[in-house]
Amino acid sequence: MKKKGVASMNEAQKFSLVKREAIYTGIALAGLIIFWLMAGFGTASSEIKIFHLPLWAVLGSIGVWIVAIIISAILSKILFKDVDLGGDNDG
Amino acid sequence: MAEGNLSALMPLIFFMAIMFGISIFVRHKQAEKNFVSNYFIGNRQLGGFVLAMTTVATYSSVSSFVGGPGMAYQVGFGWIYMAVVQVTAIFLVLGIFGKRVALLARKLNAVTVVDIIRARFQSDFLAAVAAFVIVLFFCGTMTAQFVGGAKLFAAVTGYSYEAGLILFGLVVVIYTSIGGFRAVALTDTCCAIIMMIGIVLLLKYVLAAGGGYENIMLTLETNNPELFEPFSFGNMPWTIYFTQWLLVGICTIALPQSVVRGISYKNTQGLHQAMLIGTVVVGFMNIGINFTGILAHGVLPGVAADYGGVDNIIPTTIVKAMPAELVGLAIIGPLAASISTISGLLIVASSAIIKDVYLHWAEKNKHAVTPARVKILSMATTAIIGGAVFVIALTPPSLIWLINMFAFGGLETAFFWTLLLGLFWKRANKLGAMLSMTGGTIIYCATQAAGFKILNLHQITIGITCSLILFLIGSYMGKKSDEATLKIFFPQ
Repeated sequence: MKKKGVASMNEAQKFSLVKREAIYTGIALAGLIIFWLMAGFGTASSEIKIFHLPLWAVLGSIGVWIVAIIISAILSKILFKDVDLGGDNDG
Repeated sequence: MAEGNLSALMPLIFFMAIMFGISIFVRHKQAEKNFVSNYFIGNRQLGGFVLAMTTVATYSSVSSFVGGPGMAYQVGFGWIYMAVVQVTAIFLVLGIFGKRVALLARKLNAVTVVDIIRARFQSDFLAAVAAFVIVLFFCGTMTAQFVGGAKLFAAVTGYSYEAGLILFGLVVVIYTSIGGFRAVALTDTCCAIIMMIGIVLLLKYVLAAGGGYENIMLTLETNNPELFEPFSFGNMPWTIYFTQWLLVGICTIALPQSVVRGISYKNTQGLHQAMLIGTVVVGFMNIGINFTGILAHGVLPGVAADYGGVDNIIPTTIVKAMPAELVGLAIIGPLAASISTISGLLIVASSAIIKDVYLHWAEKNKHAVTPARVKILSMATTAIIGGAVFVIALTPPSLIWLINMFAFGGLETAFFWTLLLGLFWKRANKLGAMLSMTGGTIIYCATQAAGFKILNLHQITIGITCSLILFLIGSYMGKKSDEATLKIFFPQ
């Protein structure tokens, strides 16, 4: 299987990459919190209903879930890179 | 054993037999060399799917399947809006700690989270405190799982509470003791799958029993308008939303039972897969089971008190909505949530005693321990901790759900800053971590005991704030970590 990461990173580069990925994850969390606030409380006064559910309930539940999936996909498939973890078991 | 619904018992017996079989198979397959690594972290061999499922299953407890949807029945869609914050749990813990912990564990030959804490802060005392906190709070959480599962079992099958405890409680202790982490991960995967099937099954029968989705929703719109309002006419204050973001969202990244998964996977492709799969699964479970709780109004008209409180909503719904021959299948889902959490905690609690305390003591005192002795002691310790919790659960303490949340908050207070700042901030030092873990946890427990709250917020807010302040004070007042340690944790 082709790896998408940098094949020959030294240890410092690996730790630097991992720190950067942790920051991306933190930013993703902040984005999701903002979306959560806007999707739920932000649309609570709307009269729109979808399948008998108020808009805030749909966006604040399934909407947040879908955005979380998209965020996870962006993090894991685009922003995160493969790293050789070292040791005998790394594939 | 009292007379009960035998058909409700058979699927559970069959399921537990499979769990037991997996454990025996894993023990048989595991190589005898490197027993500690094999037994406590599955020799770092987990793939993406199993990593996702075991993390989700350990995180999702029986209260997610019983108390939570019961509250959704009472409060409405505000409860789902609050519960959905848990979709962050998997990508956060794996995204922030997953790779860093994996790299460090391989460098340090670490098997537990406490191993990493000991190496980072160069303190046996801190490691001992961490191991103590883990065992203490895990026992509380495991007791809650035993009691919750056995009560559900008794309510649905008609058999006694004790029969339920023996059937699923004793079996989970035995299979965890025999198979170790690898068995826990594989059985967790089965549990997570069965949880999802259970949700779909229950939802289908609730919809049918309530006269269809449209009929239930139209009735709710007329009779229960509070369910459609985010604050549920005062039943869901903003303080609950705020503290739940901390308690079951952000701070869960530091739960040792989740962080240890970062030590156990094989490669980073698996980690990336697990982040995505885990987020899909945890969202499906949370939204699915809580939505089912709201739709249960179609089966159980009135209020939760009519059925003995929120904890009885799901058991009563199962009995009323599902055909007798499928009741046994339906309770496997919530019981799977219970046993997967117990097994996940049990193996980490056992590792805290054997690896973090006993083996470290033996190594330090140059006390030779044979592999056979390690094997027997590890399995015996797992069985003894599980057995002790089993005995406590035989006479269930009151306010069991509060004990569960108390334990969650205690673990987060103790480990959040110690792990986050310890692994990402060079300035973090031994004094800061000690003050944070001991001081924060004591303050959290004291405010819980006194019932002291600020702005009516859960005491996790006090615990997590105090532990941060103490960490910063200690880190700026105490001696910096030595260069050799910093070189390992922050290579230049």
